[in-house]
Amino acid sequence: MTAPPGTVRAVLLVTLLALLAAGCGIPRDPESTLDRVRGGTLRAGITASEPWTTLEGGQPGGVEVELVNRFAGELGATVVWVDGSEADLISALEMRELDLVVGGLTADTPWQAKAAITRSYATTRVVVAVPSSQPVPDDIAGVRVAVEDGTDAAGILEDKTDAIAVRVPDVTQVKGSAVAIEEWRLADLDLRDTGVHLSKSKHVMATPMGENAFLVRLERFLIANQGEVPTLLDAAVRRE
Amino acid sequence: MRRSAVSEHHELPPEKHQKLVKAIRLEWVSILYLLSAIVLLYFTLGNSQAMKAAWVEDILGLTPPIAFLIASRVRKRKPNDRFPYGYHRATAIAYLCASVALLALGAFILYDSVSKLLKFEHPPIDLVKPFGDQPIWLGWLMLAALAYSAVPQVILGRLKQPLAKELNDKVLFADAEMNRADWMTAGAAMLGVVGIGFGLWWADSVAASIISVDIVRDGLKNLRVAVDDLMDKEPTVVDDSRPDPLPLWVKNELMLMDWVKDAEVRLREGGHVFLGEAFVVPVDNEDLVGRIDRANRHLLDLDWRLHELVITPVPEIDRPEPAGQDD
Repeated sequence: MTAPPGTVRAVLLVTLLALLAAGCGIPRDPESTLDRVRGGTLRAGITASEPWTTLEGGQPGGVEVELVNRFAGELGATVVWVDGSEADLISALEMRELDLVVGGLTADTPWQAKAAITRSYATTRVVVAVPSSQPVPDDIAGVRVAVEDGTDAAGILEDKTDAIAVRVPDVTQVKGSAVAIEEWRLADLDLRDTGVHLSKSKHVMATPMGENAFLVRLERFLIANQGEVPTLLDAAVRRE
Repeated sequence: MRRSAVSEHHELPPEKHQKLVKAIRLEWVSILYLLSAIVLLYFTLGNSQAMKAAWVEDILGLTPPIAFLIASRVRKRKPNDRFPYGYHRATAIAYLCASVALLALGAFILYDSVSKLLKFEHPPIDLVKPFGDQPIWLGWLMLAALAYSAVPQVILGRLKQPLAKELNDKVLFADAEMNRADWMTAGAAMLGVVGIGFGLWWADSVAASIISVDIVRDGLKNLRVAVDDLMDKEPTVVDDSRPDPLPLWVKNELMLMDWVKDAEVRLREGGHVFLGEAFVVPVDNEDLVGRIDRANRHLLDLDWRLHELVITPVPEIDRPEPAGQDD
């Protein structure tokens, strides 16, 4: 187990060779997903999760659908959409019947062991906000805060802060009082952040395990286009 | 209290002290360097099984230097009424713990890698943005981190090995061996990552399995040495390849004394040094105390490693059976 002479050099040589290979399309896909999709079809799975993905009248829409369509455009591919539950879609992805799954997935998704998750292309937060006309309270203790019923934000507001959670079906309809709402909606609804942040979501997409060329290509696209996300979010809200 | 049965110096003779100071410095360098490699590998782990194995091996690589440094402090302590044999065994205990950890973790990674291979798991490695806006494939950073974790270790291993022999230190020797073998781990992990780059999904798990087999082997080897030490096996040379000739030498020296009719010596290892008993059958009882005292001084001067020898006069010698013949 002793190092024969020149092993230090051998290790360096492997590194060098590897770096030389950098230009020649590394990493590659074990199952050639990227090559197949390029100029062909991109099989995308979708599950509805507004505003990221919508399926109004069976028609895919939303921020992530727009991003996937643009990505397919760059690759000269046509998108074939398949809708289903997250579990169904991830199983199909695992069996390589799909190339991509979108549906408001976040970086803490439990599907990590079955799918390759992209790096996040957008981070959103649920914050406590007040109307711009009102002063920002120093402390939200005892303040009545409207929060959407049946969301994790409602639970966090209840358990982790001293505010009084008032559960409502739609926070965007609340006028003139403090609300727990997505940060990106503040300007649109003329609200001001109190600095109390309830939760943070890092948005991701899912690709088949180990198809690294495809994954890296998608991530490059997402990095190049993540600046578009706020515009796409606004567009998605306006359509509602 | 002057005891003729114990050598003057407690652990190392003065001329070996320089070497010990150098070894201690090298081990500190090892620890600092390993910590930096561990942090670097941690941030580039990704989903690579081989990276995980190489990372674990580096973490475990910390145990021999730490064991060495702790032991080099603890065993200096003089024997006292609660620990009349001194603290020489501290090393063996540290060593036993480290080798059990090595074995368990190696076995775990082996299981993990083989089961991933059997499940046809394809490891995903994606982009990272460590330097500003320029995204880079994590695989390249993995290769750089592995190169960083390999090359200095080989050099450290080469520097430690001669010191380990000079100091008769098995922990230091095992550490040097592990360092020197680390290029194989890093090389295998690099091949695994390059394999992923070329779309060979199995390369990663295969590399990780090979590394973990190596970790298990290291663990077993070290465990055997540690158990042997605690069982008071006959002393062996520092790389454990053959019995140490010192007990035979001591016996021969005794047999050469004209008042000794028959002699038998048994020694055990206590860290750097050897301790044990000599049984002698004297020709007669004339000046027995004086003869034993003079013999003791003479024998302790033979070799610095012979630290404590109790010479007992006996009417006849009952020699131990050769190993494996008593059942």
